[in-house]
Amino acid sequence: MKRGHFILVYIILMVAQIIVNNYFGLSRYLLISVLPALILLLPRNMSTILAMLVAFATGFAVDFFSTGMLGLTSVALVPVALGRRLLVSSVFGDEPADRDEQITIARFGLPKVVLALLLCCATFFLVFVWVDSAGTVPFWTAALRWLLSVLVSTPVGLLVSRILRPA
Amino acid sequence: MAQRGTFYAGLATAAVFIVLEIAAMSMLKRASALQDIWINRFSHNVMAWTWGGVSNIRNYFSLKQQNDVLAGRNYELFKELQRYKEMEKTVIAISRLDSLGFRSRFNYIPAEVTAMGTNSRHNYIILNKGREDGVAPGSAIITPTGVVGIIYSVDKHYSYGLSLLNDKVSVSARIGREGLVAPLSWDGRRTDQAVLHDIPMHLSVAEGDTVWTSGVSSVYPADIPIGTTMGSRLIDGAVNIVDVKLFVDFAALRYVIIAENPDRAILEEMTR
Repeated sequence: MKRGHFILVYIILMVAQIIVNNYFGLSRYLLISVLPALILLLPRNMSTILAMLVAFATGFAVDFFSTGMLGLTSVALVPVALGRRLLVSSVFGDEPADRDEQITIARFGLPKVVLALLLCCATFFLVFVWVDSAGTVPFWTAALRWLLSVLVSTPVGLLVSRILRPA
Repeated sequence: MAQRGTFYAGLATAAVFIVLEIAAMSMLKRASALQDIWINRFSHNVMAWTWGGVSNIRNYFSLKQQNDVLAGRNYELFKELQRYKEMEKTVIAISRLDSLGFRSRFNYIPAEVTAMGTNSRHNYIILNKGREDGVAPGSAIITPTGVVGIIYSVDKHYSYGLSLLNDKVSVSARIGREGLVAPLSWDGRRTDQAVLHDIPMHLSVAEGDTVWTSGVSSVYPADIPIGTTMGSRLIDGAVNIVDVKLFVDFAALRYVIIAENPDRAILEEMTR
């Protein structure tokens, strides 16, 4: 039941991301994405390979239904899935994995969850902005875009974590 | 065992990551011309870097071979330089004597080789200078880099000489500037080698020493370089002979100097 709920909410949030991409282009310097948070909050016992496949499929779906370029989101999201386990064990410790505990603010506290989200968003937007600019944007412009996107998407990801892992 | 499992899992994860990233990049290349150009440029840079790295590694491992080649070349150049230094000393010594007004014991006549044999044990040399040019039988044929032979007979305009590559020709030679004096002749084995005879058994000769004309004969001027010593060997259990690597390349010889001693007849008369 829990798993079914998680999948449903995951899909709804993915659709929300597609809608944001299609209708809420705020600025060329600002990208909003809930996808790094979705990958971070995948079940703890999910293997890295499976997480990467989920990330790839998620990115593909978002790109396919958005006006964006096919492959761009997948390129940026797969590295997040690759580093997810390392990031989680570094920030939250190894115990949750042993006990199959999921990442929630109530269990690990706001600072740790924010830190994990921040790192996920930083990784995601680093690749995304780099590939999206394709060497045509000045470094400081790309850096500003990356910084603003991370700063905005991290709180959004926090909201997503409350929706996806309410307990 | 667990470590091996972890290793394979890591390997599989890396492989899946690479495959997914390549798949995503391929889609991106098709979706956008800008990204297509950028990815192509990026992949070319990666390939260039990889090939450069491979090339550097290959070069590193071939350094020893290259070093050996360079060391060989270095040695050849060193030998060449030494030879020129010795030539220079000889030329300076001769020119100094001339400038001080000393009358040289020898008259020097430049000549060109008209014909020469190197294929028999009694090789000859014919020069384009003869009696009218002041050439007399018994004159030495030399070059700044060595002894070539001796004039045997002269014509009006040509002279016939016996090459050093003739077992009838013997040159009084000295090992080093102040060393042992011994007769040098050709043993008929190689055109770039001769032998020093009658070296006493108790004297050792170092390899690589330069052999000069001794100057004690009336035929050859002193201190003309002949060659360098090679190995020595015992003959008849009594004396040593020393192989000498000749400086003169007879196959490429074209210009020579005839050294004629005007006092030779008097000296020979005195020694009779």
